[in-house]
Amino acid sequence: MKTKNNFSLQYIFINYALYIIMALMILAIGMMSPKFFSLRVLRDILMQSSTRIIVAMGCMYILVSGSADLSGGRTVGLAAVIAGSLAQKSDYYIKFWPNLPEMPLIVPIFAAILIGLIIGLSNGFVTAKLKVPSFLATLSVMMVAYGANQLYCNKAPNNSQPLGGFLKTFSELGTGSFLNIPYIVYIAIFVCIFQFILLTKTCLGREIFACGSNQEAARVSGINVFKIQMVTFALAGACYGLAGCLEAARTGSATSNYGNGYEMDAIASCIVGGCSMTGGVGNVFGVFIGVLIFNIINYGLTFIGLSSYWQWVVKGLIIIVAVSLDMRKYNKEN
Amino acid sequence: MKKTVLFILAIVMMFATVGTVTAEDKPLAGVVWYNFADTFIQNARQSLLNVAKADGTIEVTDADSNNDVATQTNNINNMFAQGVQYFVLNNLNTAAISDIVNQAKAEGVTTIFANTDSPSDEDFANYDDLYLVTSRATESGTIMGEAVAKYWEEHPEADRNQNGKLDYIMLYGFTWHYDTQVRAEYSIQALEDAGITTNRIGGEIIAEYNRGKAQEMVAALLANYSDDIDAIFSANDDMALGAIEALKAGGFFKDEKTFIPVCGVDATAVGVDALKDGTLLVTSLNNPVKLGKAIYKTMWLLENDQEVTTETLGLDGVEVEGHRIWISYTAITKDNVDDASYDINDAAF
Repeated sequence: MKTKNNFSLQYIFINYALYIIMALMILAIGMMSPKFFSLRVLRDILMQSSTRIIVAMGCMYILVSGSADLSGGRTVGLAAVIAGSLAQKSDYYIKFWPNLPEMPLIVPIFAAILIGLIIGLSNGFVTAKLKVPSFLATLSVMMVAYGANQLYCNKAPNNSQPLGGFLKTFSELGTGSFLNIPYIVYIAIFVCIFQFILLTKTCLGREIFACGSNQEAARVSGINVFKIQMVTFALAGACYGLAGCLEAARTGSATSNYGNGYEMDAIASCIVGGCSMTGGVGNVFGVFIGVLIFNIINYGLTFIGLSSYWQWVVKGLIIIVAVSLDMRKYNKEN
Repeated sequence: MKKTVLFILAIVMMFATVGTVTAEDKPLAGVVWYNFADTFIQNARQSLLNVAKADGTIEVTDADSNNDVATQTNNINNMFAQGVQYFVLNNLNTAAISDIVNQAKAEGVTTIFANTDSPSDEDFANYDDLYLVTSRATESGTIMGEAVAKYWEEHPEADRNQNGKLDYIMLYGFTWHYDTQVRAEYSIQALEDAGITTNRIGGEIIAEYNRGKAQEMVAALLANYSDDIDAIFSANDDMALGAIEALKAGGFFKDEKTFIPVCGVDATAVGVDALKDGTLLVTSLNNPVKLGKAIYKTMWLLENDQEVTTETLGLDGVEVEGHRIWISYTAITKDNVDDASYDINDAAF
């Protein structure tokens, strides 16, 4: 593929469109308000991105394996509520489980990941075993998860109140930092590294890509497609569960409406980051940048005081520009 | 053969159940709520169901519009098709009030608009069996404005950039939402009535009543306007608490000097907790139990051919003006947190 032209401006522009757009955005916002170039802003954006990065990573497993997943957002919400209900101080006056003693930090985290896993495995089962198209399978599982969440939240004595009164250790997980970098940023980066290794350095990773590229070919060449689908949905579910737990810790509360719409943000970030809707293509770093771009838009436009209405318009336009430029990369190669 | 028998049996059983439901001669009230996921609505709904169950005069069935006008329209038609005697609408579609009133009139169903903006005088003149049960939404704004005005007068250092203006952030739920509009408008009105000049920072910050969103947006504004922000107004407690989280992360609420007045509405449990912590300045309670009870009591009075007046309703803080039934907001601060508690299982009316 490498020719003399590789170093031409056009080549650079097409191949690095995403990064150029991100740099231009940062530059434009910074020119309007120089305070944007500060460590605090960087820290804020990384912190706000971290739970979404984890959700997007989960979503990436699914997209790469050639399926779609709409259950992400509501799984985050259910996991947030379950983690929150297990992380309350014993003297909080509407404690979700009044007789439950204060739990060590690992319990809510573990419970959130577990519920994510269960939902993920249900998605996998409905898709791989019952042969329901993944779009519909995950849509249905999403509805069940949301309904279950509302039922759970409505349990007396909570009666659909937002959950609060979290233990210090739990809140610290979402708001504390080490070397001035929030814990949740470390966790998000750890998830990315894990995923990078899994997808690129292991046999399983190659099988996931193979399934996404061409499921029939993968099946014929001896890959257990059922297993791959179950594994990818389970991994995705675990990511959503973890993100939900962190979302509760970060905001200091949880309601049944948490995570609403996160699945669309995650899918959009994945696509902006170079994943293909038809499977088999995607890289962890691209998705990471995709999430960052969205959060820089969200953060930066509020930062300069642009009205929320305009933010939607600008956001939509940036996605169109970013993806259409990025697509030219593939057109060129073909 | 076995299957056919089972099928017929199932059909017979279904009809039998329907039969027993219709056999009871209780009047049926159909209630359409804008969104079950809204804490306040959920509590009002539970309260209404509990009161109805305990009393037993009127049976209540309800539906969720999922915050969507089209779903609400379907729900309305569904209720009329069910032949309800009373129709209660927690209306989303504020542009279509008159149309809905006309539809109810054509169906001849006694209609109560609940916790929403009022039908016009013409609508009331047009249809005799039309009622409104709602809180005085403007009060929730006024309570925030007055609390901040008081704080501003008592604390000269509250003008952090000393520009002589109260620089504030306004957190909106949804701009088209009636409560959001009046809360924003009347809080600032109260400040201006107190002779305070104001300046809004960051325009209309639409955080969709969502704690996480508000937290992120306020964090972004803080990074730019950290030295300017004097106060934060929020259309609900969740967004106010998100703002407080962002302020804490930005170095505020460490001591008295780093206090910033933040106001919310709803007096949720987590909101009251923040009042006790000394972070939230004020919130106000629109008591969902009172809403549930006022709706039921209105229907109960009508069912028993009694007039609906302040006296016959007999609920504290509820006033009747013609066919409009108003419920007052209660200001809740650190000093009266106990007033914020209510019991949705309390079925006395």
